[in-house]
Amino acid sequence: MDRNQIGKWFKNPSKMANKYSLHAIYFCTGCGIIEIPPSITTRWDAERFGIIPVATPRQANLFMITGYVSTKTLKAIIRTYEQMPEPKYTVAFGSCPINGGMYYDSYNTIKCLDKFIPVDGYIAGCMPRPEAVFIGVTHLWKLIDMDKANGYKKYRENYPFYRANQEQLFGDLDWPPLFPKENTNG
Amino acid sequence: MYFLHLFILALLALFSGIILVGISRKISARIHWRYGPPLLQPLIDVIKLFSQNSISHGFFFDFGIILTLVGSFILIFFIPVSNLYVMNSGGLIAVIYIMLLSPFGLAISAAAGANPNASIGITRKFLLSFAYEIPLLLILLSVMTHYNTISLVKIVDMQVDSGWSFGSGTLILSGISYLLILPAILGIRPFEVVNASQEISSGPLTEFGGKHLAFASIQHSLHTYAVLALFVDLFLGGSSLFGLLKPISSTIWGSLIGILVFLVKVAVLMIFCLFINAVFPRYRIDQAMKYIWKWPLLTAFVGLLIVSLLN
Amino acid sequence: MNLILILIISFGGAILTYLAGKISSKLRDILAVIISSGLFFYISSLFGTHFETKLWLNFLGFPLLLRLNQLAWIFTLVISLIGALAVIFSLSYIRGKEKTDYYYLMILTVNAAMMAIVLAGDLITFFIFWEIMSWTTFLMICYKKGPALKAGMKYIVMSIFGSMAMLIGILTIYTAFDTVVISELITKFASASPGFTLFTMIMFFIGFGVKNAIVPFHTWLPYAHAEAPSPFSSILSGVLIKIGVYGFILVLYVMVGVYKSLQLSSWLTGIKYTLSIIAAFTIVIPTLIAILQDDAKKLLAWSTIGQAGYIFLGLAFGTSLGLAGGMLHFFNHAFFKALLFLVVGAVEFRTNGIRDLNSLGGLSKKMPFTFIAALIGVAGLIGIPITNGFVSKWLIYKTLIIEHSPFLAFAALFGTWGTILYCYKFLHSIFLGQLPEKLKSVKRSPVNMRIPFFVLSVGIILFGILPGIPLRVINEIIVSTGLERLNISLWGLVSDTGILNTLNIFIAIVITGLIASFIFKLARRSRYVDQDDNYAAGAYVPKDKYNFSVDFYAPFYRMFENYLKDFFDILYDKIARTTEYLCDNIRKIYNGYVGNYVMYILIFLGILVFVQLKWSVF
Repeated sequence: MDRNQIGKWFKNPSKMANKYSLHAIYFCTGCGIIEIPPSITTRWDAERFGIIPVATPRQANLFMITGYVSTKTLKAIIRTYEQMPEPKYTVAFGSCPINGGMYYDSYNTIKCLDKFIPVDGYIAGCMPRPEAVFIGVTHLWKLIDMDKANGYKKYRENYPFYRANQEQLFGDLDWPPLFPKENTNG
Repeated sequence: MYFLHLFILALLALFSGIILVGISRKISARIHWRYGPPLLQPLIDVIKLFSQNSISHGFFFDFGIILTLVGSFILIFFIPVSNLYVMNSGGLIAVIYIMLLSPFGLAISAAAGANPNASIGITRKFLLSFAYEIPLLLILLSVMTHYNTISLVKIVDMQVDSGWSFGSGTLILSGISYLLILPAILGIRPFEVVNASQEISSGPLTEFGGKHLAFASIQHSLHTYAVLALFVDLFLGGSSLFGLLKPISSTIWGSLIGILVFLVKVAVLMIFCLFINAVFPRYRIDQAMKYIWKWPLLTAFVGLLIVSLLN
Repeated sequence: MNLILILIISFGGAILTYLAGKISSKLRDILAVIISSGLFFYISSLFGTHFETKLWLNFLGFPLLLRLNQLAWIFTLVISLIGALAVIFSLSYIRGKEKTDYYYLMILTVNAAMMAIVLAGDLITFFIFWEIMSWTTFLMICYKKGPALKAGMKYIVMSIFGSMAMLIGILTIYTAFDTVVISELITKFASASPGFTLFTMIMFFIGFGVKNAIVPFHTWLPYAHAEAPSPFSSILSGVLIKIGVYGFILVLYVMVGVYKSLQLSSWLTGIKYTLSIIAAFTIVIPTLIAILQDDAKKLLAWSTIGQAGYIFLGLAFGTSLGLAGGMLHFFNHAFFKALLFLVVGAVEFRTNGIRDLNSLGGLSKKMPFTFIAALIGVAGLIGIPITNGFVSKWLIYKTLIIEHSPFLAFAALFGTWGTILYCYKFLHSIFLGQLPEKLKSVKRSPVNMRIPFFVLSVGIILFGILPGIPLRVINEIIVSTGLERLNISLWGLVSDTGILNTLNIFIAIVITGLIASFIFKLARRSRYVDQDDNYAAGAYVPKDKYNFSVDFYAPFYRMFENYLKDFFDILYDKIARTTEYLCDNIRKIYNGYVGNYVMYILIFLGILVFVQLKWSVF
């Protein structure tokens, strides 16, 4: 943890601040949310890393997808993700977001979350213990340092791809496109 | 000279505000047997918030939040620290009215976001303010009547000569009442009904992100500092150290030591409030109003009665 | 001659406008605007002059006098200004409704009558024009049919009660001193006995108290203001109430004199204490009742009652600071209350008559200019430091603290916090929050409505930054009543217990605001979203259901609803109903049987015979 190195703060303050002040939106998506309250309370104190839960997506910059994603929850997840301000980071827990995991043959779960919203990293475990969550957070810091945690930039640049996937699943969506299409020639 | 005072006061307020909020998170954590964030974590939060691209709901959304910060800054300029003060016109009455500017700005901004959670939060904020203003007004009036002036600078000067107000027999009841409602004015538990209410998803701050939330956080730290500084000026003698500093009070060293003494008093008061904050849950808004209107109101009323009868 | 000219222009202009309306409506509009604005400019040119003229008519042998001095000048100025702005506002408000000529006739006559009252030089002129103002106001309140008729009835009954009390006072003065001219009465009152002075003052206070809506007599005000057409409500709240203040100052300060009235009785029941306690009740209770209101105009009407209490609190003490505070608050309150009522009028006009706070919302996106005007008006009403409301309230608090009455200062400051609660409710429920679907097609205010908004807002901010402009005139008035002069400058006040420098505060707020906006602009740009892109826990935002305006201060209502009923209104209603019941029962002796009537005559003759036999009266 390089929070105490003042030189780095002066070189790139926004990157350092984004690393050490990750406000996680307190949105309980799946079964893994049971591991979050222990992480943020006294025993495995997440506040010393700068992570606190906030109530609304407008104030958050970390989105934790804790476990499987059902089709119904995916609508709320997409809306919440779009309401977060940039730069924002998404971390997924377990194997269900990667390939469906335990629910690979269910009609109701999403098999590959990365098609609908960009995910920056995955934490192994079903469900990962708080220690694993913290190791995942340190890996996220490393990615932010190397400028590789750019899921939000991928969302902005490839928005038609994500929007097409979402519309294929849900049909017509209630909300307008986040990044309106510019008319290209042809 | 004027601008030097302004600069030093503004810097002092920002710095101590952030350290006070940092102290509150650290001490709450330590009481809970955990480590807690570093002392400068609020500063890190503000830097992160300024680097976010957030949303806005229109002109009045932006205007309100700027008004909130302006209100808190102007309040800072009215509160003297050792012998630094920028504005004295209007005295304590102007302070009472400037304290209205911040909630008003926040109310316009939050409600322009068209979210009912924000509107409910603002309703609770105004009702809580209405509740604690009643004993607070009685306390301020008893101080003004006791010293027969409305100028805050004069009140601090008189305490250098005649001792702390808290220690004088006539104003002790007002001081105790002020201590009882201090958590309500600061907005910490058990009166944390306005912000960060998980019931109404952080109340007025619901639609704030990025720079709006940064302004609101800065305002929160300035407000904490201003409320504690007002108490120290009115009841704990400002920056006087039992009259020991009188011989060197007009030199640079005197001012610096005065500022240090002032900050120590503010920190002690904050830690006292934090001990209450760390162990209490929240009151509902009507429970909060009923609590404030029972013993604190009675004590403040009796305090004013005593002061007006003795004068 | 100048004053007679004013009367001729104002009254004659009213009748001329009515006749012009029969010819063409455009001519009538132009004539109304020209007359009212012309009067305003003419009166503002009469600054600093003193006149006393006699009308050529005599009334029952009394000569009718008019006079102009500083006190009358400031009142006439405010009356003509608010009148002119209300007429400009009515141009589009009343177009297309029925009886528009009648409307213009009435509104111009009310303005004319108010100006004549203030310019009156003797009490008979005063009373004549007082009565003209009362019944023209009654006719204006009843302009729209329906509940307005009941409201007008309440108003006129209470107003007649007050006028009769005032008539008794005038007649007692005439029989005692044999003159009704005000300038002569000043010298005659100096030699009157305290009991006599107290009696006339009480009679006059009842008369002025009804018009000014002090607490026992305030029950007509909420109904009348709510049901009258909005431009007239602004005149009612802005100036008509203050005619009571004018009369009060006339009796207390001018005729009887400050020093004499302060020595009237022992300290516990003196004028200072009774009046200030009544004023304190008038501040606290109507302000709290205003928080409970759901109708925008009723809320503003209760607020007017509360602010009138502030004026009386300032006037009750008889010091120069107090008189300055009271008069400045009268001047300022006309500005912001008229502005707020005109804002409600604009909203009513554009939304086809909705003024119920529970159905409105989010109009700041559709009517931004109106919202800014409402914001400035509300800021003035609360007393935020760069508006003129702050200066007048500061003067009143200063008076209270210097006079060692901190409990009254507490009541006044408590009133400010109640004001914030209902002002924010007013602002939020009309302009902020979610815009309902049915109001999505609301257009902006028309140009002629924006002119009064602009003039009044500029007035509020200008007199907040440079309060010396009205305070200079008020200083002259204070000196003319015999109190000591205040030490004022263009931007502030210096006295030995504290200074006020509004220019400093204004500069500080502006500079800090500029620095804060600069930092705001420097930060990352925000994306503008509309109201549907809102936090709803991941769900869609329901249209029309995401607005919080019903039960706005629910905890407050639950705690205080049972204690904050208008007990005087219930009392007067009960009295009225009991009287009606009694009179109804007395009527039953006329039951139509001739035999019964013969019996009544015989019984009465029998009583007469008995009395004659027993006591030989005849």
